[in-house]
Amino acid sequence: MLTLGPIGFADPWLLLALPALQVLWWLLRVTPPAPKRQIFPPTGILRELQPAEATPARTPWWLLLLRLMVAGLIILGLARPIWQPSAGTGQSGPLLLVLDDGWAATPDWARRMASAQRILEATKREARPVALLTTAPLQGEADPLSFLPAEEAAARLAVLRPKPWVPDRAAALASVMALRAGNPGSFESLFLFDGLDHGAGQDAQAFLAALAAAGPLTLMQAPAEPRRVLAPPILEGDRLRLKLVQAPVALPGQVAILARGGDGASLARVDLALAPGAGSAEATLQLPSEIRNQVVRLELEPEAGAAGVFLLDESFRRRPVGLAAADDTGADAPLIGPLFYLLRALDPFAELRRGTPEALLARRLSVLILADRELADPKEREALDAWVRQGGTLIRFAGPRLAAKPDTLLPVPLRAGERQLGGMLTWEKPQTLAPFPDHSPFAGLIPPAEVTVERQVLAEPSPRLAERSWARLADGTPLVTAEARGAGRIVLFHVTAQAAWSNLPLSGLFVDMLRRLVSLSAGVAAGEPDQPLAPLETLDGFGRLGAPPAGAAPIAARALDEARASPRHPPGWYGPAGAAGEAAHRRALNLSSHLPAPQLIGAPPASARLETLGGEAAERDLGPWLLAAAFALFLLELIAALGLRGLWRPRPFALPVVLLLALVPLQAFAQAADGSAALATRLAYIQTGNAAVDETSLSGLAGLSDFVNRHTAAALAEPHGVTAGQDDLSFYPLLYWPILPDAPAPSATAVAALNEFMRQGGIILMDTRDQGSGEGMSPGARAALRRVTRDLAIPPLIPVPEDHVLNRAFYLLNELPGRFVGGQVWVARDQDRANDSVSPVILGGHDWAAAWAMDRVGQHPHATIPGGVRQRLLAYRFGTNLVMYALTGNYKGDQVHVPAILERLGN
Amino acid sequence: MAEAAQNALTARAEALGVRLPPLVVKAERIAATVMQGVHGRRRSGQGDEFWQFRPYLPGDAASRVDWRQSARSDRVFIRETEWEAAQTVALWSARGPGMVWRSRDALPTKQERAELLLLALAALLLRGGERLRAFGAPRAFIGRAALAPLAGFLPEQAVMPADLCLPRHARALLFSDFLAPLEETRAQLAALAAQGLRGHVLQILDPAEETLPFAGHIRFEDPAGGAPAPIPRIEALRGAYQAALARHREGLAALALPLGFSFATHRTDQPPELALLALFQRLEGS
Repeated sequence: MLTLGPIGFADPWLLLALPALQVLWWLLRVTPPAPKRQIFPPTGILRELQPAEATPARTPWWLLLLRLMVAGLIILGLARPIWQPSAGTGQSGPLLLVLDDGWAATPDWARRMASAQRILEATKREARPVALLTTAPLQGEADPLSFLPAEEAAARLAVLRPKPWVPDRAAALASVMALRAGNPGSFESLFLFDGLDHGAGQDAQAFLAALAAAGPLTLMQAPAEPRRVLAPPILEGDRLRLKLVQAPVALPGQVAILARGGDGASLARVDLALAPGAGSAEATLQLPSEIRNQVVRLELEPEAGAAGVFLLDESFRRRPVGLAAADDTGADAPLIGPLFYLLRALDPFAELRRGTPEALLARRLSVLILADRELADPKEREALDAWVRQGGTLIRFAGPRLAAKPDTLLPVPLRAGERQLGGMLTWEKPQTLAPFPDHSPFAGLIPPAEVTVERQVLAEPSPRLAERSWARLADGTPLVTAEARGAGRIVLFHVTAQAAWSNLPLSGLFVDMLRRLVSLSAGVAAGEPDQPLAPLETLDGFGRLGAPPAGAAPIAARALDEARASPRHPPGWYGPAGAAGEAAHRRALNLSSHLPAPQLIGAPPASARLETLGGEAAERDLGPWLLAAAFALFLLELIAALGLRGLWRPRPFALPVVLLLALVPLQAFAQAADGSAALATRLAYIQTGNAAVDETSLSGLAGLSDFVNRHTAAALAEPHGVTAGQDDLSFYPLLYWPILPDAPAPSATAVAALNEFMRQGGIILMDTRDQGSGEGMSPGARAALRRVTRDLAIPPLIPVPEDHVLNRAFYLLNELPGRFVGGQVWVARDQDRANDSVSPVILGGHDWAAAWAMDRVGQHPHATIPGGVRQRLLAYRFGTNLVMYALTGNYKGDQVHVPAILERLGN
Repeated sequence: MAEAAQNALTARAEALGVRLPPLVVKAERIAATVMQGVHGRRRSGQGDEFWQFRPYLPGDAASRVDWRQSARSDRVFIRETEWEAAQTVALWSARGPGMVWRSRDALPTKQERAELLLLALAALLLRGGERLRAFGAPRAFIGRAALAPLAGFLPEQAVMPADLCLPRHARALLFSDFLAPLEETRAQLAALAAQGLRGHVLQILDPAEETLPFAGHIRFEDPAGGAPAPIPRIEALRGAYQAALARHREGLAALALPLGFSFATHRTDQPPELALLALFQRLEGS
């Protein structure tokens, strides 16, 4: 090894050939290039002109230089030059290479491996023995540590992968101690460190101290690489509160959390911004419960390994509801039974059980509803109290019995007896409901005016009554009160569960209120407590699901909640053997469930040398590059030599062609820059200001244009984003307008521009993105639609008739799906001959752009709901019909009349 | 294969001959003189055509007296016929390695061009009834059907001055590049002139032989087998070469003229019609 500055030579003896270049110089100088042969009949005339002896021509100096460079590069290349060869540490003793391969090593795994390989390369050259120690070994993989030749260590290094569990520093410490006992004398240690404490600070410090005691220690850490953990999400009503924890870094971060369904489709995405130095960030994911129930996996983007993946099992979904009435016989008698309305309200979305409270509590239960049932038995009260404190939700309805005998399991103390409002002997009128207060889970629901309350139980006035009231009557008396108790809560409806005291159970509001209450409750996982759960699929260190490793063992169902991810129990899906495929029975073991917030380690031992992982440039073999350069120069020399002999002349037309080729992209660019929208037919969307929505609109229209171009004779150019009132809308046949919940009312100029656009025959496709199967995806969009369209000249609308041209323009369609399906699409009612009877507005909520959208690699970033290739195809077909409708008007409308025409012809 | 090539050449030559409207018009105008192979020499002599009566002079053979004419008057008349003779044209195109050369694939070789001109001219002459001779051919070619045999004979032509049995005062048409040293050419022409032949010399050159469009270090090789001439920078010699070629041409013209031959040049990148017309006019004019 010979080192010259940043370059080293592995075979320096070959450089001895460099002086031979001088000989080459001399030889090349005197040998002229061979002349070109040319047959020429009048050679005789030339011969008379030609002096008898021709002097050999000199090779041009630049050609000579070129040849010398070729020869020199070949010599240098064969001498195996290496850019920035690692010098090693200059020591010759044995080396202990320690590698953190726990979950925190994932983000910089590639650099970690590259550094380790570099170190092993260097030790191989120095012929030092190496011991390789990983801190998070697989189950049963922890061999006794010993010094090996570097080649063997490199082979073992090559198969290492990051592990989805916490590194075991204590075990590593024991290994180092054993190594020291077996190898007296000091050895150098190199620790590729993940920089984290992993909640056992003493172990980490002791381990570092042990390494430092054994000899010189070098710590290599990645610079400012954030280590992020997706903490267990918390279910709050219909929202999922997401939390991201990270070891603080000085740089701001941008992270997204993706919610994926069982087939990997990304159902929702939440963006999180991390301030510099922040340790955590929170976000809420609000999805309709049907869609939320499809989410099985939350993951961070960019990928953060196993700690950035959270698997959601049934406990995030299933909420068994128990129902008990005072007298079980006749409790569900039609219209008058106390459970009749409850059963009908809850049946569609909850698993219902009936029985006595004892029987119900014997199984795991989320919600228990007691309809006017007194709790006289103290043992029963205690059992219920304990259940509530563990997280149960107890919902009670008032009634004559409860009014007579209030007990302690109530959110507020009650006055004896009930209050009657409106009746023959009272002046008071039946009361309506006041709007729900903001802290109530019912906030956002609108109480209908026809709901009235005639009788109720009254709460004793107390200072906390206001905050415990979730619903009130118009006069301020509480209708629904609630109290948190332990991990659970008790909710009391101050009216009966049947229509005796009020007509609330008859209204739709009753259903909404019960749904919200049930979704507020804690989920329950199924399964027998002692059943062993075998690993079905486990995560690897990168957060990918795969077959469980050999060391993974089953775990008892009761222990799963407390289990930490470990080599024996890697994170992933566990389920009873035999029921592998049934998603309902599997349970998730998540790495982050018991992971403390990642914390950087304190000061390392003073003697340790700190290095940055990947900070030094990687060693690079320059030999192949030099040889390639030599070959390229050789080709150049060949061309030059041929040119000198006149054997090859650059074609006279080659230069213009090259210039032309160079100019073409320039010209195309120039055209694009000043090309106005009028030069091609293209679709457009109205920019909302929300970057994600605008991007979806753009890629959606681009995907649709692509589909239309492939399947029809239309040729659509790249879609444009426009702002009404600023851009000239007259170039576009069709405007796509996603209505956001927070969309402001358009300005006067925008309204004027849009009205003019519609009057001139343009079509606006308005999309509230919340219809049909997407019900609830974009709450507030309809109010926004009302606000946005107030000043627009929208004609009277009707649902799209069966024989509308929109259903016939290119494909025959029965429905007009987008990302969602099942909602109603509206078009203009009246046929306006002025604009070819084309409806200026098409209104719906199927989130069409999301269905049409396609990302750069040709994948669809938004899953269709309920899903399927067919739905997406139909969405594209609707888009094609829409474009045809926009481009050709009612031209296909004649086909609608074909039966009538045929009939007339027949007559 | 060679036969097919010959046929193709013949066909092309005939086509070229037919395609010459100015020549045809001219030919018709002077049909009685030039174009007719058997034409009167406007002199009394041997022939079938009546020319004139003239009074008997002492010494005339009694058998030549036209008794019918003499009986009409007192005097005795002799009937004279016009002297009629078919012209014999000897055609020769050079062959050899130097002739089978071209500078670009788009051009014909000099030999191809020479033979094409020769046959086109032959087609015209045969149509006019002239007698054609080829050097070394045992007999003359007469009649339009003789064009194909003539084309077939071209590869067997003798070296130029070898044929000494050509009729005297025949015309000779010689096609070659005439790049041989002047003395050789002079000897050949002198031998022909000594037989009483007169005619025309057409020098056919490739354009590259006039312009010398080469550059760089080139080793020129004589296809005829002379010593090669390696020249390091041929572009420097271009002017001198063109001057030398011009001198060579002047020398050719100067030696041909006294021997009764006219001299013209033709380049293979020029249309062959041009040369054909010029040659035909010369042939007609003399």
